[in-house]
Amino acid sequence: MAADDPLRSKIVAGGTALVLMMRQGLVAPERLIALKHIPDLDGIEDRGEVVAIGACATVTTVASSPLVSSALPSLAYACRAVANVRVRNVATLGGNLAEADYASDPPAVLISLGAFCEVAGVEGARTVPVADLITGLYTTDLQEGEVITRIVVPKPASGTRANYIKYKSRSSEDRPCVGVASISSTSPDGSIASLSVAVGAVAPTPQHFPDLLEDAIGQRLDDSLAEEIAEAYASRIEPMDDLRGSAWYRTQVIRALVKRSLLDTEVGIR
Amino acid sequence: MIGADLRPTDAVERVVGTLPFVLDKKVEGMVHAAVVRSTFPHARIVDIDTEAALQVEGVLTVLTGADLAAESSIDPYFGGARKDQPILAIGKVRYVGDPVALVVAEDKGQAEEAASLVYCEYDELPFVESIEDAMVEGAPAVHDDYPDNACGWGKLRWGDVEQGFDEADLIAEGEYMTPAASHVPMEPFVTIAEWKGNKVEVWTAAQAPHSVRRTLASIFGLEQEDVRVQVLNLGGGYGAKGQTKIEPMAAVAARAVGRPVRLELTREGVFFTIGKHAARIRIKTGVKRDGSLVARLVDVAWNAGAYAVVSPRAVIQGMARAPGPYRIPNVWVDSRAYYTNTVPTGPFRGAMTTQVAWAYESQMDEIANQLGMDPLEVRRRNLLREGDLHPTGQPMHDVHFVELIEDAAAGIEWGDTSDVDLPPNKVRGKGLGVIMKSTVTPSRSEARIELRDDGSVVAYTSSVEMGQGAATTLLQILSHHLGIGTDSIRFVHPDTDVTPFDLTTSSSRTTFSMGAALEEASVELKHELTDLASSLLEASPADLVHEDGGISVVGQPGTRLEYLEILRRSKIEQLDAEGVFQSEGGLDPETGQGVHTIHWHQGAAGVEVEVDLDTGKVEILRCHGTSWAGRVVNPLRARQQNEGNVVWGTGLALFEELVFDEGQMVNPNLSEYLIPSILDMPRQITTREMESSEPDAELHGIGEMVIPALPPAVGNAVYAATGVRIVDLPITAERVLRGVMARRDQS
Repeated sequence: MAADDPLRSKIVAGGTALVLMMRQGLVAPERLIALKHIPDLDGIEDRGEVVAIGACATVTTVASSPLVSSALPSLAYACRAVANVRVRNVATLGGNLAEADYASDPPAVLISLGAFCEVAGVEGARTVPVADLITGLYTTDLQEGEVITRIVVPKPASGTRANYIKYKSRSSEDRPCVGVASISSTSPDGSIASLSVAVGAVAPTPQHFPDLLEDAIGQRLDDSLAEEIAEAYASRIEPMDDLRGSAWYRTQVIRALVKRSLLDTEVGIR
Repeated sequence: MIGADLRPTDAVERVVGTLPFVLDKKVEGMVHAAVVRSTFPHARIVDIDTEAALQVEGVLTVLTGADLAAESSIDPYFGGARKDQPILAIGKVRYVGDPVALVVAEDKGQAEEAASLVYCEYDELPFVESIEDAMVEGAPAVHDDYPDNACGWGKLRWGDVEQGFDEADLIAEGEYMTPAASHVPMEPFVTIAEWKGNKVEVWTAAQAPHSVRRTLASIFGLEQEDVRVQVLNLGGGYGAKGQTKIEPMAAVAARAVGRPVRLELTREGVFFTIGKHAARIRIKTGVKRDGSLVARLVDVAWNAGAYAVVSPRAVIQGMARAPGPYRIPNVWVDSRAYYTNTVPTGPFRGAMTTQVAWAYESQMDEIANQLGMDPLEVRRRNLLREGDLHPTGQPMHDVHFVELIEDAAAGIEWGDTSDVDLPPNKVRGKGLGVIMKSTVTPSRSEARIELRDDGSVVAYTSSVEMGQGAATTLLQILSHHLGIGTDSIRFVHPDTDVTPFDLTTSSSRTTFSMGAALEEASVELKHELTDLASSLLEASPADLVHEDGGISVVGQPGTRLEYLEILRRSKIEQLDAEGVFQSEGGLDPETGQGVHTIHWHQGAAGVEVEVDLDTGKVEILRCHGTSWAGRVVNPLRARQQNEGNVVWGTGLALFEELVFDEGQMVNPNLSEYLIPSILDMPRQITTREMESSEPDAELHGIGEMVIPALPPAVGNAVYAATGVRIVDLPITAERVLRGVMARRDQS
């Protein structure tokens, strides 16, 4: 249905984003196709190397899942930081990605963790890395009639450090002004074995630059290296202006928070 | 009863959700209206095409301003201070959100759908958005009748400021800005209007039912008796519901379709109905080396928005409050409002005071800093004391500013500078603020009470319960003066057919003014009872005493007659009494001299903040709010009021701001216009509701006395922590960080 008549049909999961857009007259679908009653789309499954999260799992379900909390603590943390409890109880993780709102918490964390989406459509199923899914402001790589069915997240090796900092410049219930997710693992000699940093809510898509991290591999993660990486991210990202902060301001906050995230000196919200 | 922690009479109903609101009210046969709003800040209306809207199923009519203008029996303009606001735009629109048409349909969904199908063709006009835009010579005029966009001018002239500046050792000068804001009452504007013959009845969420009645009578050319306005509990008002707002729209719609019409605004519609005055405050102060103030010049420019509402009067309030609670021999204030093509503005909790207090209390710390004095000391040296003259020439009475500022300081351990172990990117500081606020004068409140022969009392007042606790407070006051238990007293909801005149439930006046009217009614009722008892007991009235709902001959408790026995034995079913509170005053329009307020409201705040030097983010660690209550009627409610003040003030200090761009309101929703949540609260909130030792001390309203002191206290604390002086509210993280980095660059 959605593929046949994409202009007049919208797929709805929790509805926290779509209903707002409809109320504001931004979209006016004649038909809403609910995913709610499709079985097995809201479970969270341990698949050994990975955790598979049903796209219709609510943000609360993800945040409170013992499996996610133990295997993917930064994701659990980011889900706890989304909006407020009323939204979290209804909004879904798949919907969050499909909406592709830039001012959002989970995408940056999922990218830092190397997650990908299982997508189903009339042409068959495929997988898309979350990093490639969000292509612009409210736009994704999803084709007409395609839905995200699962978000598959690799479990970091033990000894890996992962965190998410949600920085809100205004009220505690605000969307992020800047969100920084990082994950790093260390070799037995204490040097960096792997490193990933993704910055959300500052540009149309989450910002992550593996090339800026290549030189760090093999080095020790100390103050000056963290500062160097933070500076590289702050220089590379071209942030947007909105009511949560100007582009100039976001650059300053990126510089401060990438460093904090790497050094793990602060965990997220108070 | 005064001084007792009586549980709010409506506590259970509030918790279980049965408290009645107009929002829940249904009237037999009612239909629904939806508003079509302007999408341009300033434009001539070329054409309004209602064809498509009228085709929608269930639509009964679509009204436009032209329809109303053509109706000779209606005066389509209204306004509290000037009749400049059309019920629906006539000829041109003056702001984004200005109502241009009204759709009436059988159900709300149909009305809203049809509203989206009303097509308006406009011819755009140049517009003015800011105060600066509006005051420039040759600026586009929002109203042809006011070519210079002037919307009221208050002048205060006291002493000789130029001479004062000559005598000063130090001149402090600054410009401070405060933004527009939105009241965000939980309950939106909602009105049901119904015509019964030539009479109109409305149910509405309004703070001043008698004012709404007067306005509707004027619009329709009716006697006031032919307009009935009924109010239930309000889901918050904060000044937003203080004057007539959507009632005329509902009433014209009901008249057009001949059925009861309900109009409930969307949240966006609430944002588009009324806001808070943005203000630019320039303030110049002359100071002696010892810290004493000798002259102050204040120039306040208020952004009135597209319609006057009450701005021409409100600027006078702002004018009198602008010098602050200080003893200054030479004062000159100009307080001017300007029309702009933005949402109309009106009083906003802490009304016409948060703006000027932000300026004078920020500057007070700058003065202290320049003199190398303690900010507490420089205030203490200058604060108004009993018997001092206010710059309006009015002698100060019942003033306690020194006690308040000392309490605010003590509440945050002002002198304690002991080191706390903080990470290198965090700093802490403390700040103070103290303010004065007047209450609307002259003003009038009337109360009527009925004692029935079953011993019960029914009280009729037009005071509105809007969550502030008036229902409980007034009940306690009446119970106290009558000597009758609260269980035997019932208050009725405001209903202009039944409850007598009251100016308004705002300006923190209800406890004092309606309290006084109820006291007078109680005295009157007791007189009547004394007379009756005097006959029954064959005793001189002078020998009779009232105690706990009964009368006896002094020294002879055996003669006691309960009130209900007095009525029964006198064969009277019901005894009525009335009480009136009336204050007098007024200022000379050229000099501002005269009586501005029957008494002064007083509050102070002390805060401690922690600032993140990497992000500029300010966290309020603790806040102590304190205000002068005179006598506390209900300690729990009084404390909750002051705590609510801290919540309200926190938002204004840190992030509340209505943003405009190219004439459009950028954030008319609760996703982008943020109000404080529980997680934004200071880690510690303490309050004090200061009382006199006199048993009959004057009651003071305390609904909004900490609020204006809080933003400057936070600004001063940020300065103490970082050396950065923020002059524009709100104190955003970005502004603080810019200041921190500029200082870093300098050193």
